Amino acid sequence: MKQTLMGNDAIALGLVHANVDMVSGYPGTPSSEILSEVNKLKYKHNLDMYAEWGTNEKVGFEVAYAGAIAGRRTAATMKQVGLNVASDSLMSAAYIGNLGAFVLIVADDPGFHSSQTEQDSRVFAKFAKIPVLDPATPQDAYDYVKIAADISEHFQTPTMLRPVMRVCHARQIVRTDDEINFKPRKGEFKREIGRWAALPRVGRMQQGIEMIDRIEAIKQYNWENLIQPELENCKGSGKLLILTSGTGDGFVRETLDDLNVEADILKLKMPYPLPEEKLKAYFDGYDKVLVVEEPMPCIEEQITTDKVYGKLTNTMHLIDEMQKVYVQDALIKLDMYKGKNIYPSIPFKKDVDARPPNLCPGCPHRDIYYGIMKVFRKKKSIYTSDIGCYTLGINQGAIDTVLCMGASVSMASGFSIADPDKYIIASIGDSTFFHAGIPPLVNAIYQRHKFMLVVLDNSVVAMTGRQKPPQRQNKEIDIKKIAEGCGAETYEYVYSNKMDVTIDFFKEMKEVYDKATGPIVVVVREFCVLDKEVVDDYIPLEFAEVVPEDCTACDQCTTVYKCPPMSYNEDGKVEIDPFLCIGCGACFDVVCPTDAFIQDKSRGIMREETK
Amino acid sequence: MKYQIVIAGFGGQGSVFLVKIIALCAGNKDVACLGTENHGMSQRGGSVSCTIKLGNYANPVIDANQADLLIGLEANEALRNVQYLKPTATMVVNADDKFPSEDVNAEVVRVDAFAKATNKEIPIQGLNVYMLGLVLAKCSDFPFSIDEVKEGLKQFNPKVAEQNIQVLEKAINDAKAE
Repeated sequence: MKQTLMGNDAIALGLVHANVDMVSGYPGTPSSEILSEVNKLKYKHNLDMYAEWGTNEKVGFEVAYAGAIAGRRTAATMKQVGLNVASDSLMSAAYIGNLGAFVLIVADDPGFHSSQTEQDSRVFAKFAKIPVLDPATPQDAYDYVKIAADISEHFQTPTMLRPVMRVCHARQIVRTDDEINFKPRKGEFKREIGRWAALPRVGRMQQGIEMIDRIEAIKQYNWENLIQPELENCKGSGKLLILTSGTGDGFVRETLDDLNVEADILKLKMPYPLPEEKLKAYFDGYDKVLVVEEPMPCIEEQITTDKVYGKLTNTMHLIDEMQKVYVQDALIKLDMYKGKNIYPSIPFKKDVDARPPNLCPGCPHRDIYYGIMKVFRKKKSIYTSDIGCYTLGINQGAIDTVLCMGASVSMASGFSIADPDKYIIASIGDSTFFHAGIPPLVNAIYQRHKFMLVVLDNSVVAMTGRQKPPQRQNKEIDIKKIAEGCGAETYEYVYSNKMDVTIDFFKEMKEVYDKATGPIVVVVREFCVLDKEVVDDYIPLEFAEVVPEDCTACDQCTTVYKCPPMSYNEDGKVEIDPFLCIGCGACFDVVCPTDAFIQDKSRGIMREETK
Repeated sequence: MKYQIVIAGFGGQGSVFLVKIIALCAGNKDVACLGTENHGMSQRGGSVSCTIKLGNYANPVIDANQADLLIGLEANEALRNVQYLKPTATMVVNADDKFPSEDVNAEVVRVDAFAKATNKEIPIQGLNVYMLGLVLAKCSDFPFSIDEVKEGLKQFNPKVAEQNIQVLEKAINDAKAE
């Protein structure tokens, strides 16, 4: 049948159609919707399967991987920086292999749309020596995830599917199997200590030798099953052969079409491992070979010769996501196109004000950061933070460092040693705390590093689409108890929209901090304004307006509080955008030094209207 | 048929909703479609730009100087994306009368939908559908008919279809009345 699907939904459906019956992972844009959609399919079609979030990518990987060792068909989903966290598991699993199928789905983000790095997970697959498939479209993603499961089972190796953001979040009419004829397996672990618990040196060396043989066999599979059918579309000789992988393929096809340039295109569905010698021999028929892939030269490094052009020769772009103009530039450099630039990019003549992402109107994080900054002044403090919505506190000037998941805590430790005269305030979300915040907290407690860790607990993984974190599923898990159990001096603050209450709380914490001999942990109980299940319980529908005469244009609200509805009007006075204000009532006290924000009493019964 | 659309707005305005509706219309008519949308960071009130390419295309991104239509849900977001428009393209934009239409190298259809929402002529959540209605009224080369779009709205969410169709019709009638 045909249906319009987003890439991630296509992958989810492909998993179900491939009888993958255990899926784990950790949310991260652009991968998050895959597991959410598998979960939806599970309940919609009453499928006997496991589809749950792990506490981090390493946990998710290992849960699914063990399933495959027990003979089931399994998958783990994550974004590319998530694979860094799971890389320890991956490197060893590549040696040990699996029995059922284990599909590792890693979504890359060329162009840094919502990631801190632009790393290429295909290169990671090459590093680990596991096969990787690179879909160009949602249709490919659906087809390849099934191929990946079969390759994994046949060759007994973890197999990667590497979609990029422009596949995950692309939408296309996809041809799929007609119905779900789901056949879950019964797992059965078979003891084989020499394999599942192989030790250095002899055991692992033996597995390493087998891995080399396995990769050679997969190269042959790639040539016979995935490359040779594509060669039927090539003439075998000519001026230019273009090797493509993933989204690069679509950009090349459209550019050749737009420019009326003739070249053969060889789409490499599996960019690693490649049968290098066979491919190099095939290049003989062509004057030049161009490689179009993103974001790193994974294919090019495997098959480069004097006639191969790409990123290593500076023919293709080196950073940022693919554009057709880059393919056009490469064709110009290779003397294949001599016409004019048909993709001239002429922006609007004046600079258009940037509109960076911001914390939502009514978000409790904003008030907490505001309160922290009022009490622990900037000049005397270092604010370390972490990965999540709250990273947007950077707009308020409330964040000094962002590295990776969990680093707020360990970096606070480091700063407490390196610059001990400052107050060090670390902020971390609840899901990130579970993900990577606990080991550094234990480290800080046992070494008595002095800082304040603020856990912003809104009980939802907000940034990636509001997945439910552990404590939401099982109330026995409590961050305060965890911190106390680790031995930290722990305090709880239930968010109030009264800013003076928040400030008073942090004043108390400053006194505690001054006397402390180790880390103190503050668990702030919050909510997320996008969390439909709970938000109505927290937002009082007290909408704001400005008394223009009272506004002195001091910039406090537009630079330090930074709530999106607040901006200057033509008269130079701050105004509230009524479409953006959600009525949290948090700005009536403290936020404005001249108390220009008051409640707009003409509004307040909007809830029924907006539903 | 080949037709490329950029939809520009900011997080929360329902740009992605329009992509979904147009994709449904394409599916119903058996027109190939490939589009892409923003998730994650850009949802938090930041700039959002989505694309949808109708016809035989191989990648979902729209390059500079290629789009046939830009639906701008907000003035600055429309201006931020003008480089994607062909000189023969149309920009349908929600902006007040200070919008620099003369500096945009394309035909500009402008309406102040924020003002209409402030005056309670349309619900603010319907702004995206209102702009789509304007496209239907003003862009003769838009590949889908009013009925086909209505069908898409019904399929997407029958519960709110009636409301959305009212907004769509209001946009079309407003455009005619002008």
